[in-house]
Amino acid sequence: MTVLHPTLDEPDDAVDVHPSAPSAEPVPKVTRKRKRKVSRRRLGWPARIAGGVCALFFLAAIFAPLITPYGPLDGDRSQRLLPFFSGDHLLGTDGQGRDVFTRIVFGARISLMTGLVPVLVAGLIGTTLGLVAGLGGRRTNTGVMRTLDVFYAFPAVLLAIAIAAALGSGASNAIIALSVILIPPIARLAESEVARIRSADFMEAARVSGASFWSIAVRHVLPNAAPAIVVYCTALVGLSIVYAAGLGFLGLGVAPPQAEWGLMVNDLRQFTFSAPAISLVPAVVILIVSVAFNVFGDGLRDLLDVRSETH
Amino acid sequence: MIRFMLRRLGLAIPTLIGVSMVIFVTIRIIPGDPVASLLGPTGSPEARVALTKQLGLDQPIPVQYVKWVGKVLQGDLGRSISKQTSALPYVWDAFRNTLTLSGFAAILAIVGGISLGMIAATARRKLTSGLSSAISLFAISAPQYSVGLILIVYLAAGQGWFPTGGMQNPTGDGGFGDLLHHLWLPAIAAGLVPMGIIARMVRSSMLDAMSADFVESLRARGIPERKVRWHAFHNTIPSVLTIAGLQVGYLLGGVIFVEVVFSWPGLGLAVYQSITQRDLPIIQAGVLLSALAFVVVNLIVDTLHGIIDPRIRR
Amino acid sequence: MSTPTNVSSGLSSGSIASGTVVAERPTDAAATDVPTLRLTDLRTTFSSRGLKVAAVRGVDLDLRPGEITVLLGESGSGKSVTAKSVMRLYGGYASITGKAELEGRDLLTMSRSEILAVRGADVALVPQDPTAALDPLRRIGAQMIEVLRLHKAVPNKAAAKARALELLDIVGIPDPPRVFRSFPHELSGGMRQRAVIAIAVSCDPKVLIADEPTTALDVTVQAQILDLFLSLVKRLQSAVLLVTHDVGVAREVGDRVGVMYAGRIVEYGPAAEVLDNPRHPYTRALLDSMPTPEVARGDLRSITGQPPVSGQLPPGCAFHPRCPSCFAPCPDVDPELVDAGPGRLAACHLLTAADVPVTLAHSAPGGDR
Repeated sequence: MTVLHPTLDEPDDAVDVHPSAPSAEPVPKVTRKRKRKVSRRRLGWPARIAGGVCALFFLAAIFAPLITPYGPLDGDRSQRLLPFFSGDHLLGTDGQGRDVFTRIVFGARISLMTGLVPVLVAGLIGTTLGLVAGLGGRRTNTGVMRTLDVFYAFPAVLLAIAIAAALGSGASNAIIALSVILIPPIARLAESEVARIRSADFMEAARVSGASFWSIAVRHVLPNAAPAIVVYCTALVGLSIVYAAGLGFLGLGVAPPQAEWGLMVNDLRQFTFSAPAISLVPAVVILIVSVAFNVFGDGLRDLLDVRSETH
Repeated sequence: MIRFMLRRLGLAIPTLIGVSMVIFVTIRIIPGDPVASLLGPTGSPEARVALTKQLGLDQPIPVQYVKWVGKVLQGDLGRSISKQTSALPYVWDAFRNTLTLSGFAAILAIVGGISLGMIAATARRKLTSGLSSAISLFAISAPQYSVGLILIVYLAAGQGWFPTGGMQNPTGDGGFGDLLHHLWLPAIAAGLVPMGIIARMVRSSMLDAMSADFVESLRARGIPERKVRWHAFHNTIPSVLTIAGLQVGYLLGGVIFVEVVFSWPGLGLAVYQSITQRDLPIIQAGVLLSALAFVVVNLIVDTLHGIIDPRIRR
Repeated sequence: MSTPTNVSSGLSSGSIASGTVVAERPTDAAATDVPTLRLTDLRTTFSSRGLKVAAVRGVDLDLRPGEITVLLGESGSGKSVTAKSVMRLYGGYASITGKAELEGRDLLTMSRSEILAVRGADVALVPQDPTAALDPLRRIGAQMIEVLRLHKAVPNKAAAKARALELLDIVGIPDPPRVFRSFPHELSGGMRQRAVIAIAVSCDPKVLIADEPTTALDVTVQAQILDLFLSLVKRLQSAVLLVTHDVGVAREVGDRVGVMYAGRIVEYGPAAEVLDNPRHPYTRALLDSMPTPEVARGDLRSITGQPPVSGQLPPGCAFHPRCPSCFAPCPDVDPELVDAGPGRLAACHLLTAADVPVTLAHSAPGGDR
């Protein structure tokens, strides 16, 4: 935790800038110091490779029409289930003769988005809840945290399925369902971070100086809690993508014939006997992306020295 | 000890109330007007009022909730729309099959996770411990449906070593051996993620325990390293147990995908089929049952925790 | 300072075992000069990531039966490392050279199985924090029986239990059966330390190493534990190595004292003489920094400067940057331990340089006693 709280361990260090404004200064100081430390250490090679893989998928999703000559819905039934590398069908064709590579690339748009957006939404809401619970009174804290505990009693995926099923299929409903199940763990982490920070010396100084609740929360607590929360959210992206594809797999995401990885897994699994290699493509792609995000998130966590319980 | 258990039981009650509220809310958030969709476009205003009254939708929400809870407590979880039967008995039969699969998967996850974590924590060679850690990370990242399909393609469809799905062989004897034969692949697919998480927990708490001061004291008493490790392992059990208990929840969720992929006649398959038919009572009953199972498992875990660690029971 | 009565009644013979060891060990320490444990040029170097840190830099020490030798020094002086090096408690990351001979057998070169047989039986450790010294999840009784059975001190389980209860009684625990059944967290700090001591002495160790045994305890309990310690040593005739930073403890229980600084013993001799009439400036400074009834708190003198980091020792005498009497040879030459009176040694250039007046008294005007 030294990286996150250098002021606690090296009190001599926090004095040199603007000694006239004691209450406000330590925070930017902390932030700057942390960045310095991070830049000195470097991401390990597995995390760097994984980060590259993640970036590659994002780029492919963005520039999808530029890297493939086909459209995701273009199919020729006479060309169905072609093996890998037949013509310019890099990963073959599916049961309706559509190019699998094209559908993977276009599917990345929806799959990455339905994975990423819930983490962002849940990150914002969860952090806010964590701040309110951590900085509010005991009653607020108990109220918020006990409510969140209820969500821990559900198997997360099942809750997402129940919500998505109730709302009906569609990408936005899947995003809402995933956001709901990701909020509790993020809020819990944020709350524990806030609890740790509020016991720090500079918080005492800020309170004594009469700063308002939101001013304390935004100027003092948030900058110190942010690294741990961001790292945790990064680690959740892989999980969220897997869940999002899972909802798609169950028919709770976008409707066919749209290209989405989970939907593709379910669509292609009927060919395990006739075209086993092609039937595995989307499943393996999700596996690769999931591993890449988790390795990258892990590396980031080691780098920032944040300890948190995943899942 | 009994007082400790009773207190834990007491703590579970508010959780269960919260669970029921959340499920009730998922019933109520269904978009659209249920009355309109039941009557169709030709329904008269009088019929609308009558049906609204009949469904109890004219009453305030808290009253509706209390009535619903009363029904649930009597085992009435609504009627399945597609099956035209009571939801609970139908879901219950499927749930037993899910418990069989999840139970076996949990055993694999715990045995595999502890072994892998111990190797990662205590291996002398850096390569061995690094490899174990890498396997754990890979296992955590592996989506159940991906693993299931890969297992089917490589171990079932191509080779015929294992059945590609189902729970019983139609021509087999239907005995335990047959069940086990059908269990292996789905259990591996379902247990891989929990195994990885348990392995990482075992590794980190084992490393913590091995650097604890009492370990040095044990060494100073001449206790051989193998036994010292056993003592350290004993001290990791409480935290590993807690994590393992939480994984049961993950297992009960992830098992849905496995059941779909392997056509395992469990809750997941029932829920999956209900999704396409928009048979919401089945889904709600399934989620409620799973949440209930999760709460019960965590009660058991808490009790075991109290037995192993005398410090937390008072 | 009253010894609990059941302690003395429990210690009727020369050993707390049923008398078997008495014949081998003369009760009169003065009659023999054979050391139980002899350390010769003990050096411990830690290496991590290519960095070598010399924590102990050549310690010679003799421990005699029935005698308490105190290693006194600030934290980081290498006193605890010395104690633990003897038991080889550091894994592969420390290299320990020199000799540590237990009745002629070198502990540092014996095989793994041999050192395991020695640990806990011939050489026992009383660690600093009794809370951390016990397995939190196992009952006191089980932890005692484990050691007794391991070192074959008892023939069977029933005998082990009887012996464990007897030991708990000997260390002054009022209700042995209850403590036997207790988990560590159910006992007070003092009771825990008594239980830890009971485990340490359970196999009649020839050498007892106590690493700050009272530091983690309340002041009122400290005195009782020290008393217990003294009486046990008297009866057991173990050779004791007591590590402490507390001059008061050293003065009260020590027969001999070795003052450590930066991994070396800088002064050694009978405890009373060394602590009343120090010959090394560091010992003098250490004494001056301790409150005594004669010196009011306001007059306490702290030692100027910081103790050196083991990785970055100054050249010459390691103490010279902080030494009030530093002169010409000190920054260049590390002084050897030389004769400093009957039975005493000290490592300071002031003792050998004839042309420099001995200025110890001037250097510490507040310390006259």
